[in-house]
Amino acid sequence: MPAAILRMLRRDRWALAGAVTVTVIGFVAVFATLLTTIAGHDPYTYDSAALDPATGQPAGVLGGISGDHWFGVEPLTGRDLFAIVVHGTRTSFFIGIASTVVSVVLGVLVGAAAGYLGGWTDRIVTWAVDVFLGFPYLVFMIAISMVAPPEIPKPLLLIVVIGFFGWPGIARIVRAQTLTLKQRNFVAAARTLGAGPWHVFRTELLPNLWAPIIVVATLSVPSRIGLEAALSFLGVGVPVPTPSWGRSISEAIQWVGTDPMLLIFPGLALFLTTWGFNVFGDGLRDALDPKSGVR
Amino acid sequence: MLHKRLLAVALAAVAVTACGANDPKPGTGQGQQAAAGGTLYILNQGQTQNFDPAKSQSLAITSLGLVHRRLTGWLNAEGKQTEVVPDLADTGKASNDGKTWTFTLKDGQKFHDGSPITSADVKWGVERTFAPAFSGGLGYHKQLLVGGAEYRGPFEGKELDSVKTPDAKTIVFELNRPYGDWPWIASTPAFAPVPKGKGAEPDYSEHPFASGPFQVAKYQKGVEARLSRNPNWDKASDTIRAGLPEQVVIQLGQEASVVSQRLAADSGDDKFAFGSSFVSPAQLAQLQNNASAKQRVVTSKSGALAFLALNTQKLTNPKVRQAFQYAVDKAQYQIASAGNAQLAGDTASTLITQGIVGREQFNLYEAPPNGDQEKAKKLLADAGFPNGLENLDFLVSTDNNYPEKAQALQAALLKAGIKTNIRTLDDDAYRAEITAADAKYDLTLASWQPDFPSANANIQPLFATSEIGGGGYNSARYSNPEVDELIEEAQATVDPAEAGKKWAALDRKILEDSPVVPLIYTRNSFLRGSKVGNFFIADFPAYPNYLQVGITP
Repeated sequence: MPAAILRMLRRDRWALAGAVTVTVIGFVAVFATLLTTIAGHDPYTYDSAALDPATGQPAGVLGGISGDHWFGVEPLTGRDLFAIVVHGTRTSFFIGIASTVVSVVLGVLVGAAAGYLGGWTDRIVTWAVDVFLGFPYLVFMIAISMVAPPEIPKPLLLIVVIGFFGWPGIARIVRAQTLTLKQRNFVAAARTLGAGPWHVFRTELLPNLWAPIIVVATLSVPSRIGLEAALSFLGVGVPVPTPSWGRSISEAIQWVGTDPMLLIFPGLALFLTTWGFNVFGDGLRDALDPKSGVR
Repeated sequence: MLHKRLLAVALAAVAVTACGANDPKPGTGQGQQAAAGGTLYILNQGQTQNFDPAKSQSLAITSLGLVHRRLTGWLNAEGKQTEVVPDLADTGKASNDGKTWTFTLKDGQKFHDGSPITSADVKWGVERTFAPAFSGGLGYHKQLLVGGAEYRGPFEGKELDSVKTPDAKTIVFELNRPYGDWPWIASTPAFAPVPKGKGAEPDYSEHPFASGPFQVAKYQKGVEARLSRNPNWDKASDTIRAGLPEQVVIQLGQEASVVSQRLAADSGDDKFAFGSSFVSPAQLAQLQNNASAKQRVVTSKSGALAFLALNTQKLTNPKVRQAFQYAVDKAQYQIASAGNAQLAGDTASTLITQGIVGREQFNLYEAPPNGDQEKAKKLLADAGFPNGLENLDFLVSTDNNYPEKAQALQAALLKAGIKTNIRTLDDDAYRAEITAADAKYDLTLASWQPDFPSANANIQPLFATSEIGGGGYNSARYSNPEVDELIEEAQATVDPAEAGKKWAALDRKILEDSPVVPLIYTRNSFLRGSKVGNFFIADFPAYPNYLQVGITP
């Protein structure tokens, strides 16, 4: 499989660009503290010296971009925007990946069970998938975030809630794949030899499910990062003062007339991340799924 | 007291002033002299506009005053102390050491349908506020009138005996203790007349009996309230209402930022409009580039006290609480709330707000504008917390940029070794927690505009033991029997100057215990259209006087 991916990356420049972007952003997320230390700022320290004393807006042009503040500063606070965007990457990336893991685990287990066991299990799962796919989950997530007791850490809550609503898409694909795999000789052979469902799942099904799972998971990461941003935008995401792109964008909207850079940097970061995951995911699909031909 | 309080409370902190950085003199931009006639538009953020006096927290000079007169009213102007003046009646005569107050109604007053306004109608209006179905209005009178604590309104067939009407023009109030500010209390919405026997329906707010210059002609929730002239309003006897426009249209459900944009653009009917909500910091910054709009911003000189409340039931050690006085960064708070000190309002060190009789300026905790975090650390160490405080629950409302302002304080507190976790709640939920019997929070941000210009209204609602829980706004949960006694004593003082001295002494005494950290006296900014005249904000309150506003020719 890695060989196929490498071949694809060599052939598909867009996918390569996506892969590079994802790697860079992953790197930024992991080494956020180190990066901001190098830049000399953290996302929490107020600095009124960086503001225009007359208006509270960033001093200087383009939102106060300078050698000291690479992305400028926030109006009214003077906090360093580079540090905020970099630490926001950590929030988005971490929540996006972790919730995807939750979705994948749930989706694979449920989907494989439905496809392999069939009968009532299958009917219930298919029905639940249909319900969940049509469910107004954003409203539900907002409600959950509002009523959840404050003792539960918000990032954990976001991971669980976003992850939970992601399983049906994965379950459907895994179920379809399992249905075809079930007919194959090696699965039939294993069953004839008396292997239980769990054994068949682990040794026969799973190795053949990896490819579609990775493709679906990669393609669903950006939507989850977007969902976290949307919830933070609506004020029910990660709590202040933890940086988050969604909240930065939400705050920037009221300043867009006077300080557009405040919107541009976190917006660009969100755009690049979703774009990177999408083109990379597309490339993966081309490489791993024999049915969809090469572009 | 609750609602408008909170409104004032919540809003005041966003308050920003106008005129911009280059123009240090607040309060300009009031427009030219207005003339009679025309249609005035008021752009309102809320979905509803309440015209039921029993449910109202409205100040004597804002929207409710357009429709209803009260026993007494306010006369205010820039540069002058706000006075309590006769409205429907005179300003009352005290007897029995200030426990009995007698008011005489002016002659020839009528409701909009032409029926005469008698003392029985005023009594009915007051009684109606005790009915549980019509609660929610300013309730200062409820604890003061004899028998008020048990009374449940006139719709259950009982009268409130402590309100007497010896004849059609005289009304007497019997209080359970001497109360010098009663003429101010008589200017709260509860003292607007409601025809005896009327007002039992829950939607009375949409078709009230008007005594002011306007009556409610049309009411559509979320759309507009249209006020037309009241033909039976007696202009000659009304010294506090100009009643200039021919018609007033209150547009409802208007988003604050959209209102700012519309008024800045100043096109069509928006020329004849003003916004009832504050102009936010971001909006003010944008107005700086618009010379025409910049001129039309009106800013109050002062306003509500913004403060950090320290839950004294959790932070029991006064030494620890005093550390907060030095740890906060008031300069940063000013920037966070409005961009600069000039727009935000002066830093505060007293509980009594600027412009109140008897106020004394003092500072028990002198510190540089950015705070003295080292001194705070030292105080904490002396109190037995050499490593600072951890995990304090810092509750704020999501309204009015409170989370942003809280972050500014959080950053300063952290420098002093005080680690806080900001918890945000929707404004209704926030209010419920602040006013409930039990509180989880350690710190909260609030702001307070007195309901009438007396130090009483600055101090009693925030620091009396009776205001802890049960809907009260003692957010620091401060309880000191000695202070409670002094509050009653100051309230009983009828002479304003003497009462002022007592309140100033209380101000100092309470701050010695450090239940709250005064931050700033917030300024409010409002924006008007180019054809709106007589649009001013007097020294008190920090809101425009709706009763004088008109359209310029």
